[in-house]
This record gives sequence, C-alpha cells and structure tokens, in this order.
Amino acid sequence: MLDQDANASLELLVTTEQLGKQYGDVHALADCSLQVARGEVFGLLGPNGAGKTTLIRLLMGYLKPTSGRACVDGLDATHQSVEVRQRVAYLPAEARLYRHMRGQDTLRFFADVRAGGDYRRSLALAERFELDLSRRVAFMSTGMRQKLALSIVLATEAPLLILDEPTANLDPTVRGAVLDLVAESRQQGRTVIFSSHVLSEVEEICDRVVILRAGQLVHTQDISALRKCHRIHAMIQGEPPLPPDHLQEQLSIRSPNQGQIEIDTYGELGPLLGWLATLPLTEMRIEPIGLRAVYDRFHTSLAIPTAEDDGQVAAAAVTTGKQETTSSTGDNLVAASHPGSVTAGRARSAAGEPTVSEDEGR
Amino acid sequence: MTRVLLKKYLHDAKWLLLACGGTIFAFCWIRVWIVSRLDTGRFKAILDLLPGDWQRFTPVDFEWLITYTGRISLAYDELIVVLCVSIWAIARGSDCVSGELGRGTLEMLMAQPLSRIKVITTQSLVTVAGVALLALAAWGGTCAGIYNTTVTEEALPTWQLPIPLPWVGTEMPIPFSTPEEVSSPMADKVDVHVFLPATANLFALGLMVAGFTTMMSAWDRYRWRTIGIVVGIYVVQIIIKLVGLAADEVNWLLYLSAFTPYEPEAFVHVAEATPQFTWSFSVYAKDGSWQTWGPMTHHTVMAAIGLVSYAAAAVIFVRRDLPAPM
Repeated sequence: MLDQDANASLELLVTTEQLGKQYGDVHALADCSLQVARGEVFGLLGPNGAGKTTLIRLLMGYLKPTSGRACVDGLDATHQSVEVRQRVAYLPAEARLYRHMRGQDTLRFFADVRAGGDYRRSLALAERFELDLSRRVAFMSTGMRQKLALSIVLATEAPLLILDEPTANLDPTVRGAVLDLVAESRQQGRTVIFSSHVLSEVEEICDRVVILRAGQLVHTQDISALRKCHRIHAMIQGEPPLPPDHLQEQLSIRSPNQGQIEIDTYGELGPLLGWLATLPLTEMRIEPIGLRAVYDRFHTSLAIPTAEDDGQVAAAAVTTGKQETTSSTGDNLVAASHPGSVTAGRARSAAGEPTVSEDEGR
Repeated sequence: MTRVLLKKYLHDAKWLLLACGGTIFAFCWIRVWIVSRLDTGRFKAILDLLPGDWQRFTPVDFEWLITYTGRISLAYDELIVVLCVSIWAIARGSDCVSGELGRGTLEMLMAQPLSRIKVITTQSLVTVAGVALLALAAWGGTCAGIYNTTVTEEALPTWQLPIPLPWVGTEMPIPFSTPEEVSSPMADKVDVHVFLPATANLFALGLMVAGFTTMMSAWDRYRWRTIGIVVGIYVVQIIIKLVGLAADEVNWLLYLSAFTPYEPEAFVHVAEATPQFTWSFSVYAKDGSWQTWGPMTHHTVMAAIGLVSYAAAAVIFVRRDLPAPM
C-alpha cells in the first residue's frame, strides 16, 4: 500500500492542498486541492476573476498562500520557489518584455539567464512563428510580442509548462502552431498547465480540465470521458422508450417536443447502437457533447436549474461550490451530475416543455 | 546568471549614467574655471556686505570660503551636482521593483529561476556603482579643472608707502608702481586630494537616497507613487535642515534631517586645515579635547541609512506578494 502511495506521488508533478489566497474579505482562491500528473495537459477554465491566475501565481511563488500549500515536483512552491522555477517555464497572460531590447537580444537574455537555456531553440521557434527578431519589442505588435514570449518559454526544457492564455492575440495559423507545440511537449513527456478562455482549444489539447468559479474549484472534467458523451437527436413515433437495465446509467432521455427525442449518452456508443436499432427512430443525428455544455453549467445563469428541475446535484454544486468529478471510467457517471442533465434542465426551463429524465424513465 | 543580470541593468542604465556623469564632470570642471576667472578679493567685498546671520547657513567661515579651495568646494553643494546624483539614485532605485512591476517586466523575469535577493542585489549593485561613478565624476571634473586652469592674480609691488589713517586707526599702503599680473597653475594653489572627503560625502548622500528609494520601490507597485513619496520626503528633509540652520531655537531640527551630514565644503576645509582628521570619526582641538564629529561620522551616518534601507528593501521584496501587472 505504501509503495503504491509512493509511486502515485512520484507520478504527480503538481499538487495543491487546501490552497487559498485571501485579500481582506475577498477569497481570490479558496480550498483548492488538485493534482496534476506527469505528462498530463491540464486545463484551467473559468471567467476573469475565477482564480486561475491566482492559482498559477501561487504555484510560481509570486504570491504567498494564506492557507494550504502547493508543491511542484515535491518542492514547496513558496519556500523553494527558485528550485520550483527551475522546473517550470511560465508564460504569463499578456507577457511584457523589455521594450528597448530587440527580439534577438530578448531571446539571448532569457536563454542566458536560465541555466540550461537554449538560444538556438528559441531562434528556431521564432523562425517557426515567422517573427522578425531585428525589431525592438516596443515596435512589435501585441501578437508579435506574444510570439516572442512563446519562443522564450517553449524553448526551455523545464518539465512543467504553465501557459496562461498562450493563444491570446495570435492569428489562427500561429494559434495552431502553439497547440501543436503543446502537443509536442506532451509527447516529450512534459506536463502542461494550460489556462485559456477558448474552450475549443482546451478541449482539443487537454487531458483534464478544472473549472474555477469565484475562487473555488467547482468541477474536474476528464476530457476522454467527455469525448465519449454524445447527444442523439431523432424523430420518434409514439412515446419515448425506456432504456434497458444495463444501459440505464449511461443514458438520459428527454422529449423536447412532441415526436422528438434527445438521448444523452455518457459512455461508449457501441453498446447502445443495438438498442437504438430496435427503436422506431427517423432522421437520427449523433453529435458530441462539448466542453461548452460543462462550462455553461457553472458559468451561465441559464444553467442554474430551478427547484423543479431534476438537475439538483448540478445545482448544488453551483450553489455550494463543492467540487464534482467525473472519471474516465464512466462507472460513477450519473445523469444528474453530467452535462447532459443540465442541458436538459436548460432546454426544459427555457422551452417549458416536459422531458423524460433517466430517473423518471425508471 | 548574475553576470547576465548585471550586464542587462548596466545596459539599461548607461544613458542616464552617462548623462548625469557627463553633466557633473563638466560642471565641476567649468566651476573651477569660473573660480579661476574671478578674483578672490572681490568675493570678500561681496561677502562683507552679507548680514552676519548668513554665516549660520554655511559650516565654514566666509574667510575660508572665498579662497580658491573654498569656492571650488562649493561645487559639491551646487544644485546641479546634488540634483544629478539624486536623479540617478531616485530613477534607479524606483525602477528596481515598482518600476518593473508597473511595466509588467518583473513577471517574465521572476519566471526564471532567480531568487528575489539576486534580482534586487544586482539592481542595487548597478545603482550603487553608478553613485560611486558619479561621485568620482565630480572629483574627476574638479581635478581636470584644477590641472587645466591657470589663475591670474594681481601681485602688489614690493615698494609701498604706508599712509596712516588717524581716524580709522590703520594704514593705507600706497604702491609706487602699477600692480603686476602673475599667472600660475591652479594646481599650485589647490590640492586635489582635499576634495576626496567631499567626494565621499557625495557618494554617501547618493547611497542614502538610492537605498531609501529602493526600499519604497520594494514596498510599492507604482513607480510614479514611489517617486512622489521619495521626492516629497526629500523636499521636507531639506526644509527641516534649512529651518534648523536658520535659528538657534530650532537647531534641534537638524537631528531630524537626513541631509544634515551632507557638508562637503566642511570636510574639504578639514582636509586642508587639519589633514590628520580627513578620515576621522572625530575632530579634536590642539589641546586634545573633542571638538566635533569628523567627516567619517557624517559619511557613515548617511551610508548606514542607505545600507539599512537596502536591507529593509530586500526583506520587503522577499516577503511581499508580486501582483499581476495592471
């Protein structure tokens, strides 16, 4: 058992325990406990002021926590900050560089100031971003500065990359290049903490995502589990069917309009297909449930279900700030704690139409 | 890493350093040249017209102040010299933390494996080295002036007829020929080494201002506010010193001003009149009794304020949160 714990702790690169930062009466971050495994691309989601940057700044040792602790590679982020930063390459949101320096001088400076810095790799990255390095930073556009900062950060061989909105201000081509570089970093076994407001790229690149709301970690979402979630739209003759017993925990069924049916699935589609084939469905359309639905559950006012909604668990998570977790195994997935349920609640409360929930179906 | 940081900070500061250093060097040189152009005796006539109370604003006798050495020593108390050193100290000190924070550049810098102590120390080393260079620029300019200037004086003829003035009780010498003009190098009349205590005093002043500004910068997050606070305190301290000098009743105010130990011309006088006390903490009378604090005490007080401020700045910077750039 002890060996297992030791192995597990070795696999974790970042851990926070009850981490909190308070300014007067304001909790910028409260009771944040999370773990990031080595080689994982870990997403941070939340609107401005949710606590993402506070969490990152606590990991970097810029801020002193008012409660709890953060560790990177077993090192305390507050008291061993220099050692931690040897293992971290950090791109701040809106990275600001020395305006009087030329691009190449900036790359040289940051390569020299970090032990193990690689100027040639920085140059190669800048070339990949098609960046004009002869220009002074002061005369660079916001996007060019972002590319320059990325060339500095991605050139390091630190095992942990913390990227705070790395694709902000970038054109689609470079945005794609950045995501490719993050993917390359993962292939090299590096860990990435990726904060962004662009849900599509977070969904594309991350293995796991946490959602922060008003300084609290309210949800952890495994992206591989999310990718298994689908919504089936179809027309049906007659009453909506009851799912078979062995599929009950993987489905939620509702009927937004007479003759229409929506089935949300939370696991592999394969086992369902046989059952679906037995139903009198026409005009069937299958689409994935995206991260947007999960995000909206916590950050859209419409997503907060009313008392008569059957998404009480989700509502409780929103109102109490307690964290929910969905695992990739799908074993503990329940309809009420899943995006599908909340979307159902939204659709129903917005349209005022009766629906059939999984529980009701039983 | 330290070398890289030092190189960068030197690169950042070079233009300000060159501008301030060049100004001080040139001013001190020109000052010596101006001194060489004006006859000392004419100054005496001007000073005699001043009310006696004015003596209290200068730590040395007017009699000595009108000598070549005395008048050159006043350069260290001139606005341009003090201002250039103060500009350097305040500009560099305020940039150290709050400047970098305000610009947002500290964010990327501190993302590197650098301790906060290293960052503030390297910044401060460049600032203090700059203060030392500026003080040396003042001395260098003075030396350049002294070695490159010639003094022309009127030499009274040897033959003079003393005419007694019975009502005044003195004699008026009547020369038998026109006065002769004699030129000689300034270096023959003034020893450049006597200005070293004033140079040290100027350095200590710069160190004090730089240290205090760095401390305020380490505490603050806006450079403009750091500069505002420091300049405000600076002006108040000067006013306190002036008020303390103005009247005996409020003489105690001098103990409340950090600028009280800045008396460069007094230390030049000590170095010239009593060279054995040039680097002493106390000055003693001929009979061995304690007379006053020596130049080193004054330098040490200001340097100590500067060093303590630097230590406080380091502690504040290490302990504080680094806010996200606005």
